[in-house]
Amino acid sequence: MAETHSTSTGIENNKSQSEASHDTSSSATGHEELVHEHTLFAEPIFELGPLTVTNSLLTSWIAVCIILVIGLAFRAQLRAVPKKLQNIVEMVMEKFLEIFDAVTGSRKQSIKLAPFVMSFFVLILINNWLGLIPGVGSIGQVVMHDGHKTFIPFLRGGTADLNTTLALASIAVVASHIFGVVAVGAWTYLNKFINIKAIAEIPKKFLKDPTIIIVNPIKAFVGLIEIIGEVAKVASLSFRLFGNIFAGEVLLASMAAIIAFAVPIPFMFLEIIVGLIQALIFAILVLIYVSISTTAEEH
Amino acid sequence: MDSLISTFHLDGKLLIAQMVNFAIVFLVLYFFVFKPLFKVTGDRSLTIEKSLKEAKEIEARLEKTKAEQKEMIKQAKMDAAVVLEEANRQAEERKLELVAKAKEEIGDLINREKAKIQADKSEALREIRAEVAEMIKLSWEKIMHEKMDKTTDEKILSKVIKQME
Repeated sequence: MAETHSTSTGIENNKSQSEASHDTSSSATGHEELVHEHTLFAEPIFELGPLTVTNSLLTSWIAVCIILVIGLAFRAQLRAVPKKLQNIVEMVMEKFLEIFDAVTGSRKQSIKLAPFVMSFFVLILINNWLGLIPGVGSIGQVVMHDGHKTFIPFLRGGTADLNTTLALASIAVVASHIFGVVAVGAWTYLNKFINIKAIAEIPKKFLKDPTIIIVNPIKAFVGLIEIIGEVAKVASLSFRLFGNIFAGEVLLASMAAIIAFAVPIPFMFLEIIVGLIQALIFAILVLIYVSISTTAEEH
Repeated sequence: MDSLISTFHLDGKLLIAQMVNFAIVFLVLYFFVFKPLFKVTGDRSLTIEKSLKEAKEIEARLEKTKAEQKEMIKQAKMDAAVVLEEANRQAEERKLELVAKAKEEIGDLINREKAKIQADKSEALREIRAEVAEMIKLSWEKIMHEKMDKTTDEKILSKVIKQME
């Protein structure tokens, strides 16, 4: 059976490529060739009630299980005098808190936000690295799709699916607003976006400072722009992570398709670092959004 | 928007499933890792702080005790010197006293002996005198062959004795 490794990102594009290679390879054997493509979306594996379980969701579940096991193991061996795992976790946490301090400005605030921010970091990191393990993306089943035998892997990096990254980004942005409302109060927080205060104080302060009639409507308008900014936050967070991880998987597959041995190894290390950096970037951006929204805007 | 959903196969149920995943991860990390970890590290910091403070206190106390010890030794040495001085002085006094007493006793003894000798001497003299008088009397009687009367006798005797002295 002939196998074609096509690493195109688009379905349409992929079809034309696989057909082109089909002509050359299957003309000799006469067999239907196997389409091995990297799709932009996660493929469904099975149905679980109303939920269509995709391969990336499956990987995410594995990641959650790993975190659950490590979490329980950590809790079980937690001592006042640290050993092994606790030492490593404490050391890593200390470094993270130092980075967080630079953003929040106080250790107390860093410790308060650390569980939330670190949850993003850990989940994304495990998901990113799971996608790099040999077997993820290369062990799967062959199904008939549009008249082609299509290879569908059982597992796919959890963050190589926009559903995952979009869910995480939405949680981050929504939670940052909740934190904001809790920290500065609903009325103050609302005025960050729909600046009723700025409009309302025009008649009061007009005599003292006439320029207020120009400045405060601008302030109100800036508030409206902030709303668009919130949507942009979700988009940038989710697409940055998805794009980096998906591109990494495509890159590795391409390298493996060109020369199967030795050559992909440096790229593997590169992707390990990319996975770490993307998780870190996501977490730090979440921290920045949360700490911006929890501080009252100063004028 | 529709093309976005179809290209990336966005699915509300999948989004919710991933959010649930995150919620599980958050709860696990919060309750099993961060909450206990921060408590343990916080407690440890407090313990270390306390220990350091106590160590400092102990050191200060030790320093104080050492100083006190030194002071006590110095005081004891001074006291010992005073006592020694006193003892020396008393010994000296006692010695002088004893010497004086001994001298006195010796003086007494000598005086007593002197007196005794004196007494013995006068006794002996008296006896000698009596003896001599007796002898003279006898000799006189023998020479005179007769006895004079008592008064004359006595008179002559005492005259003789007076001359002999």
